[in-house]
Amino acid sequence: MQDGMPAVVLTNDQTTVINSPMSGSLLLKGQAGTGKSTCAALRLRYLIESGAAGDSILVLVPQRSLAAPYYAQVHAADFPAGGQPSLLTFNGLSQRMIALFWPLINTSAGFTHTKAPFKFLTIESAQYYLAKIVEPVLQQGYFESLTIDPNRLFSQILDNLNKSAIVGFPPSEIAARLSNAWIGKPTQLKIYQQAEECAIRFRQFCLEHNYLDFSLQLSVFKEHIWPSLICKEFIYKNYQHLIYDNIEEDYPVAHDFVSDLLPGLTSALLIQDTGGGYRSFLGADPSSAARLGNICKGVYTLKDSFVKSPAIDNLENALDESIRTHRQPGGDHGKFSDSFSISSFRFYPEVIDWVISKIQELLTDNTILPGEIAVLTPFLSDALRFSFASRMDAVKIPFTTHRPSRSLYDEPAVRTVLTLARIAHPSWCLLPGSQEVRMALALAIQELDYARADLLSRTLYQRGNRDWSLNAFDTLKIDMQERITYHAGQQYEILRNWLFENKESGTSELDHWLSRLYGEVLSQPGFGFHTDYDAAAAIAHLIDSCRKFRNIYTPDNLSVPGNPGKEYVQVLEHGILAAQSVASQSRQSASNAVFLGPAFSFLMRNQPVSYQFWVDIGSQGWWSRLEQPLTQPYVLSRNWDPSKLWTDVEEYEINQQSLARLTSGLLRRCRDHVYMCSVAYNERGLEERGQLLLALQNIQRIKARQSEADNV
Amino acid sequence: MFEPRLNQAQILEYTKGRMGISAVPGSGKTHTLSYLASQLILTGDLENDQEILIVTLVNSAVDNFTTRISGFVRAAGLLDNVGYRVRTLHGLAHDIILERPDLAGLSSQFTIVDEVESDRMIEQITTAYNRLHPELAEFLLKTSVDLAQVNRSRNGWPQLITTLNQNFISQAKDLQAEPEDILRKIEHYQCSDVLLEMGVEVYQQYQRGLRYRNALDFSDLIRLAYRVLESDPAFLERLRYRWPYVLEDEAQDSSSIQEKMLRLLVGAEGNWVRVGDPNQAIYETFTTANPRFLRNFLKEEGVRSMSLPHSGRSNISILNLANNLIEWTRNHHPVSDLRDSLDVPFIEPTPQGDPQPNPIDHPHAIYIRNANTTPDEEIRIVVENIKRWLPQNPDKTLAVLCPIGWYGEKVADALHKAEIPMVELLKSSQSTRKIASIVEKVLLAIANPNDAGNNSEAIKQILKVGINEDDQVEEVNRLTTAIRKCNRMEEFYYPVPGREWSTGLELPDASEALLERLDDLRQKFIRWHLATSLPIDQLILTVAQDLFTSPAELALAHKFALLLEFSADLHPEYLLPDFASELAEISGNIRKFNGFSDEELRFNPDDHKGEVFVSTYHKAKGLEWDRVYLMSVNNYDFPSAQEFDNYIGEKWFIREDFNPHAEVLDRLTGLLTNNAQLITAPPGAATRQARLDYASERLRLLFVGITRARQSLVITWNTGSRKNEPQRMALPLEALYAYWSSSNEPA
Repeated sequence: MQDGMPAVVLTNDQTTVINSPMSGSLLLKGQAGTGKSTCAALRLRYLIESGAAGDSILVLVPQRSLAAPYYAQVHAADFPAGGQPSLLTFNGLSQRMIALFWPLINTSAGFTHTKAPFKFLTIESAQYYLAKIVEPVLQQGYFESLTIDPNRLFSQILDNLNKSAIVGFPPSEIAARLSNAWIGKPTQLKIYQQAEECAIRFRQFCLEHNYLDFSLQLSVFKEHIWPSLICKEFIYKNYQHLIYDNIEEDYPVAHDFVSDLLPGLTSALLIQDTGGGYRSFLGADPSSAARLGNICKGVYTLKDSFVKSPAIDNLENALDESIRTHRQPGGDHGKFSDSFSISSFRFYPEVIDWVISKIQELLTDNTILPGEIAVLTPFLSDALRFSFASRMDAVKIPFTTHRPSRSLYDEPAVRTVLTLARIAHPSWCLLPGSQEVRMALALAIQELDYARADLLSRTLYQRGNRDWSLNAFDTLKIDMQERITYHAGQQYEILRNWLFENKESGTSELDHWLSRLYGEVLSQPGFGFHTDYDAAAAIAHLIDSCRKFRNIYTPDNLSVPGNPGKEYVQVLEHGILAAQSVASQSRQSASNAVFLGPAFSFLMRNQPVSYQFWVDIGSQGWWSRLEQPLTQPYVLSRNWDPSKLWTDVEEYEINQQSLARLTSGLLRRCRDHVYMCSVAYNERGLEERGQLLLALQNIQRIKARQSEADNV
Repeated sequence: MFEPRLNQAQILEYTKGRMGISAVPGSGKTHTLSYLASQLILTGDLENDQEILIVTLVNSAVDNFTTRISGFVRAAGLLDNVGYRVRTLHGLAHDIILERPDLAGLSSQFTIVDEVESDRMIEQITTAYNRLHPELAEFLLKTSVDLAQVNRSRNGWPQLITTLNQNFISQAKDLQAEPEDILRKIEHYQCSDVLLEMGVEVYQQYQRGLRYRNALDFSDLIRLAYRVLESDPAFLERLRYRWPYVLEDEAQDSSSIQEKMLRLLVGAEGNWVRVGDPNQAIYETFTTANPRFLRNFLKEEGVRSMSLPHSGRSNISILNLANNLIEWTRNHHPVSDLRDSLDVPFIEPTPQGDPQPNPIDHPHAIYIRNANTTPDEEIRIVVENIKRWLPQNPDKTLAVLCPIGWYGEKVADALHKAEIPMVELLKSSQSTRKIASIVEKVLLAIANPNDAGNNSEAIKQILKVGINEDDQVEEVNRLTTAIRKCNRMEEFYYPVPGREWSTGLELPDASEALLERLDDLRQKFIRWHLATSLPIDQLILTVAQDLFTSPAELALAHKFALLLEFSADLHPEYLLPDFASELAEISGNIRKFNGFSDEELRFNPDDHKGEVFVSTYHKAKGLEWDRVYLMSVNNYDFPSAQEFDNYIGEKWFIREDFNPHAEVLDRLTGLLTNNAQLITAPPGAATRQARLDYASERLRLLFVGITRARQSLVITWNTGSRKNEPQRMALPLEALYAYWSSSNEPA
């Protein structure tokens, strides 16, 4: 049950599923909003209350955010005591098994140092090592005909490796698969070949260093752990019951595993959202999930939505038909006039102001909670996110944003501690500029305002002094000391002394150093982050990211001691590391805050709302997929016929399907009304007329007819 | 309501197929084409997902077409923004690439560098190349010339080779060649020289720079769009379905790749209407554009060739003068190769009873000044003439056109000194520059919170917004002067407890209201100080939200934010003052930036009655004024392939009879089109051809200038800046003068 939501009243169908026998496998199907996950979470409780040991239950989800209902259940005060169920993704399960069976499988899996321990690479650290492999070949002229940001180049090479693992083909087939489907200029074929070569070099590098990136984890699990009898026995001994939610959002190899696993389990409940598959571009495969559903002993379908009103239901059907047929929907879709409205604007900021004022209006009489509202865009640029965020802050609307690509380095608190770290480690030769020092001091010392921090940094910070760059406060003339104020001077001295005493001591374990700086100085009274919880969250994330980096760090030249602290700071600044959302989680609890984010993030959050705002319905982003010149999610999927070319027919079809799936997914998660905004000039000042707008024009015509009929 | 005349009505009968229209200046082609588009929308069988595609040359025409078509469609009671799309060719190419970037070897997040950034990149690469290759100067410079001297001079050596490379790259892209393609051809034909070598290497490095920035330049747009269309027949088919009709304006200025792109998009069976005036083709120099494309189209089998010969724009005297230029060129030009520079039909006045009758003719409709004058003298005479004319004609529009931008700036300075109201069609509009200037000053102030000069300047600019009265302006000046004298800015922004922010200032008498505004602004600055920790785009948005209220201003600030975010990506080392410099380029009109003001979206001379419009001939295309001054019509700006002519492309320090641009571009074209004649041509051949091409284009430019005038036209010329080698009256002007004098002689 969600905070602030009414108590759940179960239907007979749901009760039947929850109380179904504790043996055999059951597939539970239904659209979003029909109460499947609620049902499955209560099934978890039922299993334990009926005598199953908590730790004999495996709950699998494709993505951690989708485990929220299960976490809520497990953490409920009245949840039965005893062993805890395992709430895992397939990858999480793989990691656990690799950790357990490493000595058994490392030789057969091809790792070079079989006596040495292994390390899991995060996406960030995988990119870091891949960069070391790719950068030299870039100098040799690799990827010359491609226009791409280097960080994206790295992520797409990794993506190809990951696709090979989740679909189940060797990395040596990447180029051939992509090339067979390519219809454009032949120069691209060389690019595919080079991408494959880099992927294979990276795989080799991982095997030589006992590193396991996401793709190697899955491959090792699939090819070496799961086939082993000892491992199998271990899994069956530990898990008798399986609950596997959102199977349509998971990868084919996960489906293969569960398909093998099912016959040996006591009970299994598989849950499928019939309209889902939003993660297709990430490798999710609904058709592979359907195959899994077919081997379940029983099937149960939930039909009635708990969420959408009849008008929204009618709108969903009409819009779906309009998108799929490109024509004005025929037949009678029932009335949907009240379910949506379209407002038109000339410029982007007008849309933002209008959305905010409409939200204020909705919230005025306190009957609607902020968590009942979602503001959705196809993409969320930093500028747009910031525009919305600052306006919502100004009128005190609580909100939460999800934009995973925001860099950790963009957080002011993170910049502050890293600036101080650079000052305290002159041997790194990364001394900051005086503007960075000014801002760091203004944020770090509570009573130091910006103008006085400017005076301080201009007078006491000497970048040219390579040995130690911060001079003592009492070296200033009395007049200047007075201007800066003695109190701020005292705080500065505490900070300066700490930095001096801990000079050069964070090179090998920067995470510890940062943690001490925060704990001993910056979080203390009189310092800037004393009561700043967002800053605390950002710094905690930084420390965690820094620790993970240190754990996997190996110096380029093994004969020279490494400098992981400096290396970490540098890669963070270059944008390779830690592109993760930080502040969003700490800001507001979800139920009490307006959700602001890309439509895809909203779907993956899987929490319905009463009101949705679709910002910029003319954007092509609702329709077209993100183009990545080095990879292709559909061609690298299991369903692709290798003898075919990927032409615009396929591109168009897949985009139409995605749009239909996206809009249906959104409407199934909307109770009352969708406010749609159309804007003449998009964020970049261009005119756009995407497919969603065209489809909505048809709907608008029917709506006009329906209104006319009502008026007669 | 649009009432078409006979020729226009015949064009409006079009329902499908191919049609080419040759339209004289002022024949109402935009109106006719807009009406045709609206007719096709209203009566055609367009599906919901189909559009009429209208392609134009420049941004200002996009808005012009959109306004007209939406007006016609709205009048018919339909949704006014559905069923058509108006784009420049570059805008269209951008649309196409955005849909399938994968086919162009791009990721979805690509950006487009503007001309300033692109020029900067080429300049940097060229400078480095020049340093390492002394043979370049040896090859190109006259032996008598001192390299150090030309390095220092304005428009000297560095600028020449940079421009050379810009043209080289642009031409190579037009011909769809990557650097590697050129290298292969050079090897194949065993033909190389220092200019080709430089061009290819700079091109190679430039492309590498663009790739590193995940960016394209404007020339890439068209060639990549063409590549996308060529790559996937299914995509092409989908676009052909979406745009069943393509209406193209200003078709005479299409380059070869542009024409190829549209031809591919339309397909063999498609519906294509092309309108243009071969006599107004003025973008040919060092490009592959050529009015020949339109002329050939008009002769193609299956193309219905039409003309719009009637023009109600100018009075009979001016029409006759323009027609005389055509007649003289075709029959009497001393260089026979130039006789087809201007084409028939002659411009005909509108028939009796036409809704757009020609302005009434008068005896002083034309004045051509015959006497020798220096450039300064020419400017003085024109300014004095305007000073007399303007007060007598406050309801009339007036333009001064110069062949070169910097000469226009000199004229503008002189007008400014003479306190004559003026409007300039500049790189960015005044309101855009104003907003850029305010944001720039704020950035400088918050970068230096203790600098009283920067802070008082920013405060002054903001407080002056919305103030018109002199005494109020004076009050703001006094107040900000007091701030400039403040030596403790920290006390102004952050007074210690117990003190007022105003304590340290010697504040003059100021109204309560103004002091309140100042205090409010102070609070904003304090907020912005903290916002300096944000990425630059977010900082700009924060400032903009606090300062601006109108949607257009806020949208413009949003665009600045994106521009600077891009700069931050390119230059991670940038600090606030560097970002301020970027904005200073816009506010100082060094950098073109399209904003959202009406000035930028649509420029209408009739909105500026009683003011003088100063621009180049090129920028005046498509516009018209009651009175027009054509300046500098001498044999340097309008040469005629005569022995005594000098050419802009041939610098004094370059070896004799050698135009490096023409020579290298011809070789490049030869290589890429396998044209042996061009590859093996002796040095100097391309230069001679370039002179002819240039002279031909300048004849058309003069024609464009003449046909901008409705009621009166003044033509002057000057002897140029070289005292020992004075310029003379341009040959065609001599002919026009003779015609004008004879027709003005008493009977």
